[in-house]
Amino acid sequence: MSYLIQKEYVKYECTCGSLKPISKLYFCRHCLELRCGYCVCHEVDSHYCSNCMEHLPSAEAKFRKNRCNTCFDCPNCFHTLSVRATTRSAEDGNTKTPTKHYYLACFFCRWTSRDVGIPDQTTGTGNWPVKELPFQETLNSYLEYYKVLAMRERNLKEKKTYSSPLIRGYSSFSEKFGLTSMIARKRAGLPPLSLGGKENTQSSLPKIVPSVAVDDVEPLPDTYFTDLTKITTLSQRHSYPMLQAETITSLHPQHRHFYIKCSLRCRRCEHNVSKPEYNPGSIKFKIQLAAYYHMPEVRIMTFEPLKIGKPSEIILKITNPTQHLTSLQFGSLINSEERKNLKTEEISETKKEKLPLELPRPIRNLQINTDVELPQCSVILPPRDDAAEYDDSADTHNFQDDTKVVVWRKGNKVAVKMKITPQNGMEGGEESIFGFSMEYGYVNTMPTLEQKQPLRAEIQVNLFISRATYHLRRIN
Amino acid sequence: MSIYDGLTAGKPAVVVDFGARYTKFGFAGEFSPRCIIPTQVICPSSRKLRWVFDYEDEADLYALLVTFIHKLYFRHALVSPKDRDVVVIESILSPTKFRDTVAKVLFLHYEVSSLLYLPSHLIVLAGLGLSTALVVDVGYSESQVIPVYEGVPILNAWQAQPIGSKAVEERLRKNLKEAYEEIKNAGGDASRVLKPIDLDLETLPDHVIEDIKVRTCFVTTYERGKAMADGIRPPQPPFADYRLGGYSVLRIPGEVREATYEVVFERDNEQSSLANLILESILKCGIDTRRALAENLVIVGGTSMAPGFKSRLISELRRLVKDNFYKPKLYISNFKMHVPLVKENVASWLGGSIFGATDMLPLRALTKEKYFTLKTVPDWCNLATNELYLSKLTLS
Repeated sequence: MSYLIQKEYVKYECTCGSLKPISKLYFCRHCLELRCGYCVCHEVDSHYCSNCMEHLPSAEAKFRKNRCNTCFDCPNCFHTLSVRATTRSAEDGNTKTPTKHYYLACFFCRWTSRDVGIPDQTTGTGNWPVKELPFQETLNSYLEYYKVLAMRERNLKEKKTYSSPLIRGYSSFSEKFGLTSMIARKRAGLPPLSLGGKENTQSSLPKIVPSVAVDDVEPLPDTYFTDLTKITTLSQRHSYPMLQAETITSLHPQHRHFYIKCSLRCRRCEHNVSKPEYNPGSIKFKIQLAAYYHMPEVRIMTFEPLKIGKPSEIILKITNPTQHLTSLQFGSLINSEERKNLKTEEISETKKEKLPLELPRPIRNLQINTDVELPQCSVILPPRDDAAEYDDSADTHNFQDDTKVVVWRKGNKVAVKMKITPQNGMEGGEESIFGFSMEYGYVNTMPTLEQKQPLRAEIQVNLFISRATYHLRRIN
Repeated sequence: MSIYDGLTAGKPAVVVDFGARYTKFGFAGEFSPRCIIPTQVICPSSRKLRWVFDYEDEADLYALLVTFIHKLYFRHALVSPKDRDVVVIESILSPTKFRDTVAKVLFLHYEVSSLLYLPSHLIVLAGLGLSTALVVDVGYSESQVIPVYEGVPILNAWQAQPIGSKAVEERLRKNLKEAYEEIKNAGGDASRVLKPIDLDLETLPDHVIEDIKVRTCFVTTYERGKAMADGIRPPQPPFADYRLGGYSVLRIPGEVREATYEVVFERDNEQSSLANLILESILKCGIDTRRALAENLVIVGGTSMAPGFKSRLISELRRLVKDNFYKPKLYISNFKMHVPLVKENVASWLGGSIFGATDMLPLRALTKEKYFTLKTVPDWCNLATNELYLSKLTLS
C-alpha cells in the first residue's frame, strides 16, 4: 500500500487521457478499458453521519436536509459537540429531588450551549431548539405567488400552441377519430374541464405584500467593536447560511452534516466499477474493479545514474496480478487520439454513441524528455499463485528468456532491463520522463450472454515513468 | 399542478450562485442556501489551492469547475448530479466564456438534465415581491448597478466599477502598511498606541486581511467620512487587537478601521464612487421611471453587509443629488431602500430558489437534448440562437 502515498513515479494513461498511478485507476471488465475518477460517473450511494455512524436511506436523508438527527457541530470551531449532564434540583423549588440536566459542550474549544442561552434539556437526546427563518410566511407567500404566475404563463403558452392553424381545424377530424369529450363539452357550450383542479383565472393570483422601502436604514452602531473575540469570523457565519450570526452570542449549534459513500459507474457501459458496502462501518466493497487486480503493475526496481545524452540502464519490475498467463510486448507510445478514433469506430458499429459532444480531455503537463530503448522480444508472465509465495522450491525456470532483457524472475514477477537516454538540452533540475506502450494479454473471465467461455483480449496501455531530478548529472 | 406535485417535488432543482469569492448553493424552493463556500479548489494538476475565477483559459476553467462542482455535489448537496435540473444565477455582465464553460461542465461531465441561467439583478426581486427597483450588487471584484422597471432590466443604464471587497482589502493592506511605516519612522507620541512589528504586512495572507476587514472595519458616517476626505482628522475610534495566532498580535489602529471602506465612497476626478454609479444609472433611465427607481433601492452582495454600509450609502446619495453637478439634471427628493428578508449575500440566491421552484423552470431551461443539438448556450448576442433575429431572417 506504500504506493498510495509515495510520489507517483509510474503513471498509466487512462482512456480519458489523464495520467494516474495504478492505485487510482479502475478497469472496466465490460468495455476492457481503463477508467479513472475523472471519466466515471459518480453516484451518491448512502448517507451516513461520520460521528454516530447512523446511515439513512436517501429519501429520509433528504427529508432531514442531509443532517444527522442526534449529532451537533460546534458553531465556534466546527468540532462535534458532546452532550454533558449535570445534576441539580428543579428551579421551582417544590421538588427537592435533583434531576439530570443536559447541555451541549465542545471538548475542543470549550464552547457550550449555555454560552448562547440555550436552556438545558431534561433528556439526553433532548429536543434542542431549532432556529426558524424569519419572514418564513412572507417568503412562502412569494413562492406561492410566483408559482401561480408561472403556471399561468405555461397555460398561456400551451393555449397558444393549441390554437395554431394546424390544430385549430381539429373538429373536422372528429368524425375520423371520434368525438372527444372535450369537444363535446365545447359544442354543448359548457366550460372546459379544468385539468389541474385549480382555477387559473386572474382572481386566483394570491395576494402578496411586497417589500416596503424604508427611509431610515440601520445606522452605524455607536459602539465600535473592539473585542474581536465577540465578533464571528466569516467561516463561522457561512457555516450556518440561514443565521449568519455576527456576534458570538447569537451563534447556534447546527446538526451535523452527512457524508456519503460514492459508487462509480462506467460512462459507456453503465456497469459499476466500484460499489461500496452499504454499511458505513464497513470499508469493503461489493464491486471494486481496481486496475491493480487486472493489469500488470510496473514499478521501478533500480537504475543507473542518469547522464545527459548517455544511455543508462533501468530495471523495471512487472507483476501479473491475474490468474492467467500473459505475455508482454513493449512498443513506442500510441497516440491516444488515434486509438480513441479507432475505438469509437468499433463502438459506433455495436452501440450508438451516447454523447454527441466530445468530452474534453484533461490538461496534462508532462513532456517526454528521455528516449528509451525497449526490449524487442516478448516477456511471458506466469499467473499469480498465492501458494507459490510460501514455496521457494517451486520456482521453476522453464522460460526461454533473453538474459539481456529479463534479469530476474520469481513467481508472477519479472524484472525487465531497458536503456534510457536523457535527451540533450535538458536542464539540471528537470525531471527525466520516458514513456512506452505495453501490450499484454488479458483473459476476461466474466461470462456474458453471448460468450460463456473466457475471452482473450490484447490490451495496450501507455505508461509514463518519471525519475527524480537529483539523479540527473550534466557531463561536460 | 397538484397531480404533478409528487413528481416534481421528488427532485428539486439545484440552485448555484457562483460568486467571485463565495459560492452559494442549495435547492430550489428552500429559503436559505445549504452552504456558502469559498469558490476555490485544490487544482488537480498543480495541487495548489486556487480560486476558480483566477482561471487562465477555458481548458483550465473546465478542469477547475469539474473539481469545484464535484465538491458541491458530493460534499455539500449529497445528490447525484445526473438527470437533475440546475439553476445558475449569474450577472448579466458575466463573461460568455464562463457561462459556456459552466454549461459544458454540467452537461458533458455531470450530465444534468437541464440548465437555466437567471440574471442576478432581476431575480433578486423575486425574493422581495417587487417588480421595480434599482438593484445595486456590491460583490467582491466589482459593484454593478442595473435598474429594473416593471420586471424589465434597463440594460442601457447599467453601471459598473471595480469597487468591492477586493478594493477594500487592498486599501486595508495599504493603510495598515502606511500606519506601521509611520510608526517605524516617527516613534514618540504615535508609538504609544502602536508598537513597531517585525512582520511583513505584504506577505499577510489574503484570508487574514479578509478576516481583519470583516471583524474590525466598519463604514463610518457621512460627516466623518467627509472630514477625512478634507484632510481633517476627527478623533479616532478605539484600536482593535487582532490575534495572528500564538502570541503575535496585530494592533489595528482606529483610523485604519474607519478609513478602509472609504474606497467605496471616495469621489475622485472620475466621479466613480458607488453613489455616483447609482445616480449615473438613474440619469440614463427614462424620466418617468426615475422617481420610482430612487425610492426602490435594493442593495445586495456580501460587501454591503459591512456595519453602517447602507446608512452611509443613502446619506451619500442624499447629499450628492444636491451637488451642483446633478442638481440641474435630477429632480429626486428622496431615496428609499429595501431591507431584504434574508442576508444580503444570499438575496440573489433566494430569488433563484423561488424561481427555480416554479413551472417556469421546465419552460425556460435549456435541456440536455437542445444543448447537444445547438452545441452552445443560446444567448441574445449569438445570432445563431437569437430567435428574434432568426424570425426576421425568415420573414425577409
